[in-house]
Order: sequence, then C-alpha cells, then structure tokens
Amino acid sequence: MAARSLRAHLLRMLLPPIAGLLGLGAVIAYYPSIEPATEAYDQSLVDIGIALGSHIRPADVGFRLELPPAVEQVLRADRYDTIYYRVGGPDGRAIAGDLDLPLPLESGAGLHYYDTKFRDRTVRAVSMPAQCGASTCSVVVAETTVKRTRMAREILVSNVLPEVMIALATVLIVWFGVKRGLAPLARLSEEIKERSPADLHALDAGKAPEETRPLIAALNGLLEELAAANRNQQRFLANAAHQLRTPLAGLQAHTELALSMPMPDACRTQVEQVHEATIRTARLANQLLALARAETGGHTEPLSRVELKPVVEGVADEWVHRALQRDLDLGFDLEPASVRGDEFLLREALANLLHNALEYTPRGARITVRTGTREGRPYLEVEDEGPGIPLAERERVLDRFYRVPGTPGTGSGLGLAIVREIASGHGASIAIGESNGAGSRTKGCRVALTFPHG
Amino acid sequence: MRLLIVEDDAPLASGLRRMLEAEGYAVDVTGRGEEAVLAASQERFDLVILDIGLPQMDGFEVLRRLRAAEKPMPVLVLTARDAVDDRVRGLDLGADDYMAKPFAMPELTARVRALLRRSQAHGDPRIVHGPLAIDTVARRAFLRGEPLELAAREWAVLEVLLAKVEKIVSKEAIIQAVAGWGDDLSPNAIEVYISRLRSKLEPAGIRIRTVRGFGYMLEEFKEP
Repeated sequence: MAARSLRAHLLRMLLPPIAGLLGLGAVIAYYPSIEPATEAYDQSLVDIGIALGSHIRPADVGFRLELPPAVEQVLRADRYDTIYYRVGGPDGRAIAGDLDLPLPLESGAGLHYYDTKFRDRTVRAVSMPAQCGASTCSVVVAETTVKRTRMAREILVSNVLPEVMIALATVLIVWFGVKRGLAPLARLSEEIKERSPADLHALDAGKAPEETRPLIAALNGLLEELAAANRNQQRFLANAAHQLRTPLAGLQAHTELALSMPMPDACRTQVEQVHEATIRTARLANQLLALARAETGGHTEPLSRVELKPVVEGVADEWVHRALQRDLDLGFDLEPASVRGDEFLLREALANLLHNALEYTPRGARITVRTGTREGRPYLEVEDEGPGIPLAERERVLDRFYRVPGTPGTGSGLGLAIVREIASGHGASIAIGESNGAGSRTKGCRVALTFPHG
Repeated sequence: MRLLIVEDDAPLASGLRRMLEAEGYAVDVTGRGEEAVLAASQERFDLVILDIGLPQMDGFEVLRRLRAAEKPMPVLVLTARDAVDDRVRGLDLGADDYMAKPFAMPELTARVRALLRRSQAHGDPRIVHGPLAIDTVARRAFLRGEPLELAAREWAVLEVLLAKVEKIVSKEAIIQAVAGWGDDLSPNAIEVYISRLRSKLEPAGIRIRTVRGFGYMLEEFKEP
C-alpha cells in the first residue's frame, strides 16, 4: 500500500465539505442580491410601456400609435440591450411596433412579467394594459438580457471570489500547518538518522506535541527491547568466549608442554600439527566472536571519544614482541587522532590488521602503524612490506572467508571482514593501497581506516 | 619461589602447573576463589595466577580480598572475556598484569619471570640484569663485576629501561625521567645517550632495541 500523505488525507477530508458549504453560501447569497436588480430593470421596462401607452390615439378604425421617431429613438435607446415593443388594440391585434413579439401565456388584467424567446434571443418582457379611449389596449415591452446576464455574472463573481480565496487559504494553512505540526517528528527522524546503529538510548520527547508522545514512547520501548536483546547477546558472547577460550587455553598449554618434552620425531610431528590447529582454532574463535560483537555494534553504551594514539601505544608492547619473534621491524608513527568509537573494537581492528601484516611480511622487513589526521579526518593505518594485495582483489578481500588464491599460511579469511565491519560501525572508510616505502622489493600493503570528521 | 594458580578448568590448571614446575617453581592449584583467599591468608606465595571466571566467588572478588588483606604479592590475571577487558586492563583492581586466554606458554612464563623480578627487586637497591648489576642507592654499576662508568644522564636512562625490562619505554617517558637532570631535552639527545649505553653494554650481550617511532626496550638477557 502506498504511504498516505497526511496532508493529502487532511485536504481530502476538508476540501469537499468546504467546497460544498461555500457553494451553498454562494447560492444563498446570490438570489437575495440579484432580485432587487432584476426588479429595477423590470421597472424601467414598465416605464417605457407606460410612455408608449400614452401615445395611443384613436384612428379611423380602432386605434393607432402616434409615436414621433425622435421619441421612439429615445424609448428604444439602451447601452447594452435591444428593446422591442408591441402595442395591441382592444381586440388584441397588434397595431404597432414589433408585431410578432410573443404575448404572455397567462392573460388578464394587470402587469405580467415573463421570459421568452424573440428572434432567437432570450428576452425579458412585460405586458401591461393601456387606456385607449373607453376601452383597454395592451402594451408589451421586451429587452434582450445582455445587461441582466452581465449583472448576474458580476454578482456571482463578487460572491464566489472571496469563497475561493477562503478555500485556497485552507489549503495553504493545512499544507504549512501540517509541516509545522510535524516538525518535531521531522527533528526526531533527523536525530534517529544521525545516530550510529549502536546508539540505543531513549529518544528525548522534548517539545514534541502531545499527539506524538505515544509514537515516541513506542519507539523508546522498541529501543529498550533492542538494547536488552543486545545486552543478552553480549552476555551470550561473553559466555561463549569463556566456554571456548578456556578449554583452548588448556589444550594449548598441554601441546606446548608435550612439545617441550623429549619424544619420537614421528610423534612430535603429530603433536606439532595438533598445536598449530589449536592456535588456529583459538584465533578463529576469537575472530568469530569479534565479528559477532562488531555486528551487534558490540556495545550498549553510546560511542565515546577515543584517542587512537594511546590505544596503539597500549598494545605496542604485545605486538612488538610478536614482531620480534618473526624478526620483523614493527615501528610507529603516531600523531594525535581523536574519533568517536568503541575502544575495544578499534583495538580489535588494529589487531587484525597487524596480524595480517605479521603473517605476510617477509623476515627482516618493516611494518609501520600510523595514526593522525589527514584533511581534518582522523585515520589509523598499517603498512607492511609484504607481497601486497592485487588491485583486482582489493574489494573481495574484505568479504568473509575470502582469501586471495595462492595465499600461503592458514588464515581464515575473516580478519579484513572484521575490520570492515568495525569500520562501518564507526562510519569509517577502508582504503587498501600499496606501501609508500621507497626501495622495498615488494609492493607492500597499506590498509587505512579513515574516520569521519571529529 | 612459590606460586598459586587459581583456575577452575582442570586441564588448563594442570598444564599450567606442569609448565611452571618445569621452570623450577613450587606450584599450588585451587579451582575455588574462597580457597584461594584462605590459602593466601595462611601461607606465603610469591605470585598468584588468577582466573577471572571462577564459579561462585569470581576472580575480581578474590583480588579485592587479597588486596584488602594487604597481600603484596604480584597477581597475574587470566581472562577469557572481552567485556571485562578494560576493567582488567585498567589494573585498577590491583592486578599487576593480565593475559587473555588462550595464550602461549612461553609468554606466560616470561610474564611470570618479569613480575617476580620486579617484586623481588622491590625495596632492594640492587638490580641484576645478566652480567649487569647496578646499585640504585650507591649509584654504582658493574658489568661482569667490573665498575662501569656512566654519565648522570646515561645512568638515568638505564634506570628507566631496567625498571621495565622487555617493555617498550617511550621516548617521552625517558625524557620525563631524565629531564630532572637538566634543561630541555630533545628526542635526538635521548638517541645519543642510548647509543652511548649501547656501546658500553652490547659487548656484554645486553641489547637495547629501538622501537621505531616510539621508544626503546631493554631485551631480556639471554645467555649467548
């Protein structure tokens, strides 16, 4: 179903009754105002008839109209309409004027007003008796309806125009009134849009109108449920982590213990394999948990300000030792960089980048971690002197479980997927490029996370 | 040296015990927090390895009680959890170090060694690092038993590094430690002192590693 516009709905509800009422008003106002005007016009026809009647004279046989041309001209003169007349003798036969002018349908003494057709035009006519000697003659005067129509139109317009304006004003008031009335909701939707997906704290009803409160309350209820579900998932993840990691730590302890003791070479190879698999499984478990955490936003509290430099410094020890074990030169180039984020997840992203760098960089080569700001945007990047990632693969390596074909080692293909998940949770972009390092034998790899402005 | 392992996972606890016994430590194991608190109140341990995720009384509570009883021994915390990471990391509960499960045994034994060295050195003016011995009170250093001449600032830099063997010490931290000895110091000046120290110590197999863009680290001494 198409979304219903509140405005359209309101207008649909309001406009027909308003139009009906206004139309009715126009009709009611029309007749009272047109009647006096019509009467005035009719009266002037009667005046002409009376004037004509006074010009009836006895003739040799019957009567005749003795109308000097100058008088006839004056009587027939009108700015808009053509005036017709007919004078009938006592016997009813026409004796002067427009002989075929229709007579009123009803007969009898007195004035008769009527509308009729004459020479294909609508005319307004009045018939009246006139004294001719001892008997009664009749005079009919008619005129076309140009000025009457015109007057009716003017009255109509002057009545309807204000009503049309009222209707227009209604439309405008509804249009802007709805916009204004819904402004708090618009603000609310902006606020929700700007939130990070992880930010589940309740919406502030603030100055929102009374009518929108139930909506906000319902939304807040939903947010609270989401947050609770998030908390449950966090608890589950924490438990799952514990359940997985502790036995893995035990397994790893025993394989290491076994390897430290004398045993036949054939046996040693097997134990080494078990040991390798244990370490890989442990890492995979950690990565799956990290991925799940990154997906749920990983945190139920709003993001806080995190300084990247101390975050890197805090884990430098650990990673330098690992690098040294592989005879790698892990170095740092740290400038202050402040982002809104989750420190745990940012550390996890760094750990995955460093793990990859350690895994793929040949012995003796350099790895560099950088933080700082470029064009006002904070960044975190790890650069190595490994084989690099071919241009065509740079999108796909961010996919889960994808590994560049022919890659040595035993990675799961989750590391960069986790980094991407964490980056997107922070509104950060990932760029995979080549190392800037001059003189290195290989292209190297540089993965940079660039965060939004301050 | 006597260690107490508080870990409820039996395979891990036995693995830890055997590995640490192989290193020459006397090791006691318990899987319950209450027992650990009781044992620590009755006997003397040089170090406690404490799992956070214990049944009933958890590791945080054990730690709190140990510290409340003013037990001075170092505590190495083991954790399998992410969520408590920062709480442990902050070490505000009085843990001296922490490790996330699963961990490599050599790393654990290295940390245990470092913690024991630090706690044993506590109150002892002498620090021994392989062939190097220094007396922090008398301000004298000996290399292979021979007196070693050190300028005041070289001395200060060496002291900072010796306090954190196997840990990276940032250039800023070194400058702060040395600045008391005089005026402003540039990072370049630190490099000079480091290189002088190296020329004096490296012939004896003591290595100061440069961590590019960050600082320096005095490596654990290994017999050649």
